[in-house]
Amino acid sequence: MDTTKITPYLLPLIPFSLFFIFWELFANIGIVNPALFSKPSIIFIKIFESYSELSFHILFTFYRMTISFFIALLIGTGLGMIMGYKKQIYQFFNPLITTVMTVPGIAMAPLFIVWFGFGDPTIITIGIIVAFFPIVYNAATGARSVDPQLLKAAKIMGARKRDLFLHVYLPHSASYLIIGSKLGLARCWRTIIAVEFIAATSYGLGYMIWDAYEYLNVTVVYSGVIVLAITFFVIEKTIIRYIEKRTIERWGVIQNNE
Amino acid sequence: MGYDTRGIMNMTNKSKIQIRNLEKTFSTGKTVTALKKINLDINDNEFAVLLGPSGCGKSTLLYLIAGFEKPTKGTIKLDNKIIKKPDSDRGFVFQDFALYPWRTVLRNVTFGLEMKNTPKQKAIEEAKKYIKMVGLDGFEDAYPHTLSGGMKQRVGIARALVYHPEVLLMDEPFGALDAQTRKHMQMELENIWEQTKKTVIFVTHSVIEAVYLADRVFVMTARPGTIKGVVDVDLPRPRNYTDDKFLNVREKILNLLESEVEKSLELTGE
Amino acid sequence: MNETTKKLIKKNFKELLHFLFPFFVVIIFWEIFVDIGLITRVPAPYTLFMRFLQITFEKNILTSHLQASIYRLLIGYFLAAILGIGLGTLMGIKKSISEMFSPVLSLLIAIPTIAWVPVLLITLGLGDKTVITAIFLGGFFAIAYSTMHGIKTVNKSLINAAKTMGSNNKSLFFHVLLPGSLVSLLPGLRLAIGYSWRALVGAEMLAALVKWGIGKMIYSARFFNDVELMFVGLIIIGLAGLILDHLVMGTIEKWTIERWGMIQEG
Repeated sequence: MDTTKITPYLLPLIPFSLFFIFWELFANIGIVNPALFSKPSIIFIKIFESYSELSFHILFTFYRMTISFFIALLIGTGLGMIMGYKKQIYQFFNPLITTVMTVPGIAMAPLFIVWFGFGDPTIITIGIIVAFFPIVYNAATGARSVDPQLLKAAKIMGARKRDLFLHVYLPHSASYLIIGSKLGLARCWRTIIAVEFIAATSYGLGYMIWDAYEYLNVTVVYSGVIVLAITFFVIEKTIIRYIEKRTIERWGVIQNNE
Repeated sequence: MGYDTRGIMNMTNKSKIQIRNLEKTFSTGKTVTALKKINLDINDNEFAVLLGPSGCGKSTLLYLIAGFEKPTKGTIKLDNKIIKKPDSDRGFVFQDFALYPWRTVLRNVTFGLEMKNTPKQKAIEEAKKYIKMVGLDGFEDAYPHTLSGGMKQRVGIARALVYHPEVLLMDEPFGALDAQTRKHMQMELENIWEQTKKTVIFVTHSVIEAVYLADRVFVMTARPGTIKGVVDVDLPRPRNYTDDKFLNVREKILNLLESEVEKSLELTGE
Repeated sequence: MNETTKKLIKKNFKELLHFLFPFFVVIIFWEIFVDIGLITRVPAPYTLFMRFLQITFEKNILTSHLQASIYRLLIGYFLAAILGIGLGTLMGIKKSISEMFSPVLSLLIAIPTIAWVPVLLITLGLGDKTVITAIFLGGFFAIAYSTMHGIKTVNKSLINAAKTMGSNNKSLFFHVLLPGSLVSLLPGLRLAIGYSWRALVGAEMLAALVKWGIGKMIYSARFFNDVELMFVGLIIIGLAGLILDHLVMGTIEKWTIERWGMIQEG
């Protein structure tokens, strides 16, 4: 048995197992107050029991995330390409973008609640805003970094402005767009959950967690957080990795060593 | 075939470096035997060159002597002591220079002395001496990233010499430089060596470089590497690249190498 | 003042003007559009400025809010830095530790910091402790990861060179691994302060017993429909984030890894 091959898989299980074992133990003998900390056993039972309800909430958060993301992608790509195309436009918007980018989405929530009220309009708007910035920033960088030689080659082969855009700028920027989208999607997800804490009134993963907190339904809070972690982890490792593999890794733009 | 096997090993047992029955196997995935049955002696104050086709294990051999790797079988002795790990009795010059980007030229060179707890003033003095010797005085306060490849390597050489190691090991030190700089550095190294007459083990795949610098050239076979033969380069220094005698020695070595280069090309096609 | 200093000041001044120009343009158009009634629900820059002066100098509340926030940020962030660098170093040096904890780290990074807050509210209460812990969590993972990555990716030749010059393990760590890891560590610290700052704002909003803090200021403004105050707060948050990132961390990067040529000037 070649132990060097198995150990990378076994070793990570150690902290996880130990953590859950000790948590269960301490909660049972009372070192840790189960009213505040709940128990892994109850939590996992809860997750399995409320499977359908959970899926419902997750779906709603996904729905908000998907809409925000795609709108942000459209606007961001468009604006980014324009910024990259003309240096002056880039120089004008760049400081604005880098400044507004730093404002956390959740801080905008009270403002939008005053303007749009609770619920989807607020949540989705903020989702669009936070996803927009990484996308437009990377799209602009991508469009700016087009090799002038490629442009000259295309022009000499008879390309007009529209052709240049479709056949040179867009493909070249694609890899930057993917990086920007990855960042935008991540920010979108995190911010939507956060805004759901404050602004959602009946559904969404964030809503579920916050609502449970307000009723001190500790078990549900923990289950929510665990489900949150696993959900995004899974999204990252599957969908995003898949897209990366088929596009930018195939084109040799980045190497993935994991 | 006319190649030399005498002179690889010293009968008198008084050599500076003694390698007996050395073997090195790597087992990451599939097993690769890099070196097999290496036996050789290197004399004090000698400029020895390890020459061979790509992949023949010459760098591996140098790493073993340096102590960066451990032998699978056999022993390496320096001054009759078995080498177990890297230490300051052996100096090393790397192909990728390995200069510390966060230290100035001066502080790079004083590194070895710092490790020996040499008092600051003395260390700086010594370092400046060697920086001058490699022709870089005035650049003491420069950061490595501002230097050219040739200059960086000169710092590397000064750094390796300043703490007086017993042996200087050089791993294709000019491999990353362009042809012009390379030639220039060969002459510089020759110059510096004449001033210190250290025992040097120099790895390269360039025959011309070998003939220019070496007292003896150890020609290696393709993987698994062994010493095919050793060629004495008995020419007065500094040498002339276009001299008849120079070209003769070069011819001799090329003959030894030829079949090995073909073999190594076959190997890499695997 | 010699020539090169004069040139440097001129260059920096020009860069600053270039940076501020778009803002001037936006503010002017913003003011005009509000004044002629094109935009209605957004307060005008002039009104905001007046409000800003009022809360800063007349009533002194802005300084109290900012003080509270910065105090929490400093504590949380420094804890994150020390523990993060510590864990990251251990993971960087010993392969077994990194193999054990790397997946755990990846999983924990996936959790948005804000999601920790309900758990913290339950276990640590509704006050300062929760906010500081949230700040800590925001920065810790990024710092640990970038430290580990920095140490793991130190060029092997640099390590070998040190060994051959007679260095022991302690020297190896302080003279090679640590400086070598900066090219990843410093950008990690820079990212982390952004994360921590955002976690601060979010946690302040959710922690009911917290009275002072820039996040709290915005949150409470909602109950008075005080859009002006919210805008002022948002602008302050944006500016503070920018200052922390650009001025503080950017300068540190300039003096170290940029000076040593280990990174391209961004």
